[in-house]
Amino acid sequence: MSAFNEETVLDVKHWNDTLFSFKTTRSTSLKFHNGHFVMIGLEVDGKPLMRAYSVVSPNHEATLEFLSIKVQDGPLTSRLQHLKPNDKVLVSKKPVGTLVTGDLSPAKNLYLFSTGTGLAPFMSIVRDFETYERFEKVILVHGVRYKSELAYQNYLTKQLPEDEYLGEYAKKQLIYYPTVTREEFDNTGRLTDLINSGKLCEDIGLPPLNPETDRAMICGSPAMLNDTCMILNDLGFTASGHTGDVADYVIERAFVEQ
Amino acid sequence: MTFVVTENCIKCKYTDCVEVCPVDCFYEGPIFLVIHPDECIDCALCEPECPANAIVSEDELTDGQQVFLKLNAELVELWPVITEQKEPLPDAEEWDGQEEKLNFLER
Repeated sequence: MSAFNEETVLDVKHWNDTLFSFKTTRSTSLKFHNGHFVMIGLEVDGKPLMRAYSVVSPNHEATLEFLSIKVQDGPLTSRLQHLKPNDKVLVSKKPVGTLVTGDLSPAKNLYLFSTGTGLAPFMSIVRDFETYERFEKVILVHGVRYKSELAYQNYLTKQLPEDEYLGEYAKKQLIYYPTVTREEFDNTGRLTDLINSGKLCEDIGLPPLNPETDRAMICGSPAMLNDTCMILNDLGFTASGHTGDVADYVIERAFVEQ
Repeated sequence: MTFVVTENCIKCKYTDCVEVCPVDCFYEGPIFLVIHPDECIDCALCEPECPANAIVSEDELTDGQQVFLKLNAELVELWPVITEQKEPLPDAEEWDGQEEKLNFLER
């Protein structure tokens, strides 16, 4: 039995020169938890060429969506970026991952810290009803270099609050905090600096990060993960050691770098 | 980069790692598991799952564990892939942490 389902590309959106997203059909047999990743790829020279991608779409949707960088000489993304509707992609049948709310103990606020395509799994989590049932406030922090890399910004600020089902939750409970490092913007600076200086919590009107009241999920580059974990550890947060280990925060790296 | 199964898996074979591997890159011998170095995507999910702490990132292998890098690559060619978790070996708990287990390796 093949480890992959063949899915059909339904829609492709190019955010800028370095970033795009695409929607595909979803085999009804594919079940996943919001926050999970799958392997996505193409058949190249008769062999599947696969990379890990977090699922952007929530698990209650009938289609799948993924967010990807474009690297001109990247083995997979150099090809994937040319996808167009009706093209076929391979999607693995075994979604896994550590960014699941089930591995966080109950608390008041959920912080979702992401940089770059690390936003992807959190797009799924902020569209999960259970997230809003478990936490009073959900704070989605997205750090990027340039404004054009703020994928889904319009969706998060305009469409999601008007969503027929999720709109009421998002309006009351979701705080979206985009920050840009290399251009002028409403919020600027590195995510880790914004946490350390206290500016993040000040801006959103919440008390400083505290393991008694807050939980966190982190997804970004290895350096960003490392720095953010150190900050949380210093504040007394404990990391989930493995799947099923309930703790104060969970991490996963944003996978595809080429 | 790949993760590598090292000595403490021998005679334990808990298989918790198999359940979380997104690419099913574990291969199963009679008393030991190995990771296919060309299939592993370095996602690190398996490492903390191992009750015997036998899974190590390639760049964190101790000098004594280096031999397992080659051994994993060699044994994946001989053994079948394992895609579902199963019961550990009957004396797994007893063998967990024992030294010099490489001498017992069966191919």
